[in-house]
Amino acid sequence: MAETRMAGGCQCGAVRYAITPPLVNPSICHCRMCQKAFGAFYAPLVGVPLDKFEMTRGTLSIFRSSDVVERGFCKDCGTPLTFRNLESGEMNVSIGSLDDPKAVKPIVQYGIEGRIPWVGELNALPGMETEEDSDASPEHYARIRLSNHQHPDHDTGVWPPDGGSSR
Amino acid sequence: MTAHLLTGGCQCGAVRYALDQRPENVHLCHCRMCQKAVGGPFAVICPVLKPAFSVTRGAISFFMSSDVGRRGFCSACGTPLTFDYPDGDDIGVLVGSLDEPGRVPPVIQYGNESRVAWYSGLTQLPGDHPTYADDPEMRQRISSTSHQHPDHDTDQWPPEGTGS
Repeated sequence: MAETRMAGGCQCGAVRYAITPPLVNPSICHCRMCQKAFGAFYAPLVGVPLDKFEMTRGTLSIFRSSDVVERGFCKDCGTPLTFRNLESGEMNVSIGSLDDPKAVKPIVQYGIEGRIPWVGELNALPGMETEEDSDASPEHYARIRLSNHQHPDHDTGVWPPDGGSSR
Repeated sequence: MTAHLLTGGCQCGAVRYALDQRPENVHLCHCRMCQKAVGGPFAVICPVLKPAFSVTRGAISFFMSSDVGRRGFCSACGTPLTFDYPDGDDIGVLVGSLDEPGRVPPVIQYGNESRVAWYSGLTQLPGDHPTYADDPEMRQRISSTSHQHPDHDTDQWPPEGTGS
């Protein structure tokens, strides 16, 4: 588990944040609200005390999924970024939006009532690296690499780099 | 309301879509671009031919994650909805945005170069209890004030006389 400040943000880079330990309950949540909010089988989240969360660029857009909870995202690219129970003293961030998601391993599961029955079997599926997929040409992957508009996995002084639009 | 094979949409309900073909080659993608786009350890993408995909409410917003690929989402609530190549024949919807995500089991994994090491153990983690099982009052407060669109098409959303 990381012991130091960790940065993260959305895909396009319009929103950046940082969190500082102590990390609280890194988790996956299978509940249907987290599934739909993330477009995924489960939401991976890690909490920090509110005063250990800071915005470093841009602003979160908020969808209040119930009277109790706010979900933050980037309105320019859609990346799900935060989950906050308004009555708790914590802010949760989505682990995949951290610049180093490998560094935060979940320790608990929530929302078991929504768990997809075969979700535990996914890691046994056949798999390959991105550019091993022979359905697309090497040129296709080169075009993606050379025109990648994703913010890099570290803070930047200026973004997008040319000062223009990344879209 | 037309009957479609599968339906889905965003959390707030501003965007709804329909599929008239069973998705093929449903896949996990662990690549770093999919991870960051969905805020998770991987994306699950369910491709159909473009003529079999239709937006039935609202409009999808797009982020061009490269000059080649684009990612669709709801600008009102952020839900990741689609991935496609504008020049390609198919479009993939993000599995959790389907009204019944359990109906489309993935068959393959891509992007293994950035797969997180701990992903295979996630479903063995402790926590075999439902949401707020230990706090029925909180469970009730969330369910009674949920602003999430239901898992089926609706004629009107949000319900008349309410704001979401």
